[in-house]
Amino acid sequence: MLPLKDKVALITGSSRGIGNAIARKCALAGADVVINYRKAGGSSQEQAEQLCKEIEGMGRSALMVQADIAAKDSVKKLFSETAGRFGRLDFLILNAAKAPFKPVEKLFERELRQLVETNYLGNIFCIQESVPLLAKSGGRIVFISSLGSRFYNPAYPLGSMKAAMESVVRDCAESLRHKKILVNAVCGGIVRTDSFKILRQYWENIDMLPDELFVEPDEIADATVFLCAPESRGITGQTLVVDRGLSNSLFRAVSNP
Amino acid sequence: MSQNLLTEAKVFEEIKKAVAETLRVDEGKINPETSLIKDLGAESLDFLDINYRLEQAFGIKMARHFVLEHIEEMFGEGAAIDENGQLTDKAVQLLKIRFGDSAPELTHGMDMDEVPSLVTAQSMAQGVMDILDSLPGKCPKCGSAAWKSGNGVRVSCGSCNEAAAFANGDDLIKDWLKKVQEEKKIF
Repeated sequence: MLPLKDKVALITGSSRGIGNAIARKCALAGADVVINYRKAGGSSQEQAEQLCKEIEGMGRSALMVQADIAAKDSVKKLFSETAGRFGRLDFLILNAAKAPFKPVEKLFERELRQLVETNYLGNIFCIQESVPLLAKSGGRIVFISSLGSRFYNPAYPLGSMKAAMESVVRDCAESLRHKKILVNAVCGGIVRTDSFKILRQYWENIDMLPDELFVEPDEIADATVFLCAPESRGITGQTLVVDRGLSNSLFRAVSNP
Repeated sequence: MSQNLLTEAKVFEEIKKAVAETLRVDEGKINPETSLIKDLGAESLDFLDINYRLEQAFGIKMARHFVLEHIEEMFGEGAAIDENGQLTDKAVQLLKIRFGDSAPELTHGMDMDEVPSLVTAQSMAQGVMDILDSLPGKCPKCGSAAWKSGNGVRVSCGSCNEAAAFANGDDLIKDWLKKVQEEKKIF
């Protein structure tokens, strides 16, 4: 029995990386999928088209919507197209993120505003637009966070936005309880995606971490599917850390003798 | 300073390889004047991938920040990009010096988001050449002047085998900015 059979999942920022893996896993679990990407006409759109084809190949429906979550009108379009095509929404996966890699004190005002607009306001715009749909289906919201919410990362101002969103998750779990919407987060460790390529530029020794501590995008995706599935019905307001135990240890020698 | 171990043609070959692998396009589609964004659909994350491949290939550090960011870091926010996200006159003046006649679209009021499409395969190759040309005359470890590159594109000391250390891309942009500012007093 497929856990998400005939449900509809919308994943923001799903052309690449973790979002892409979540979209596939949702489709494998039986859901129809809305794939969202920000930039028209570039490599993201190409990858989104490819993903759509693959999902349709699995016998599920896929809808591709170009939208920038930082712009409210764009978010409205994302949800109206979703409702127009599928007539319902069961799962909102807040995965999209965009941030400069610089120490926070060096950010220009323009960069700070963009940081907050995409990674905080944008996610909240999505939550606001999704509530009427999710209330009808008794749906779920899953926010994709990262260890940057609680640990220092060199040049990673996104971490503070992840921390803010983890507390939004807790708040919304309570404020949306009466609408039967469950809200949780998955907090990923170090995942080798496109964004990791940036992190690696600022974190010289990161490649020396043992291979077994690197999380696969599919591991984040499986945890996300779990938080959408009936089996997790008793969980809300939580952040589930999926980091292969990276954050369990206060001290770790970078290289083994 | 300059080096004569790695030619521009050799560097361009590596650029083509890195771009083709990252964007999954045919190497034949990549010419010196090819804009990575306009012609090949590259996005910001793709540039990181390309840069990383070049860094691994040559043992160098590419610039993390574009020249516009360096201008504002040096001369203050607003020096290069105005409140509407458009290039200032001064930024245009400076970019014209950097990109030369190859960028006729560079004008006052150009949207900052359009600027990265000025990056061509040729300008990336130039960036790599600038870094490679920072090779010191002598090996800082053993003092001999015997750099070699073998068959590949990694330079090392022919005497003590130490890997060559080049200036990083960001520092070179900063040095260039300082030099231009001293000469032209733009900001």
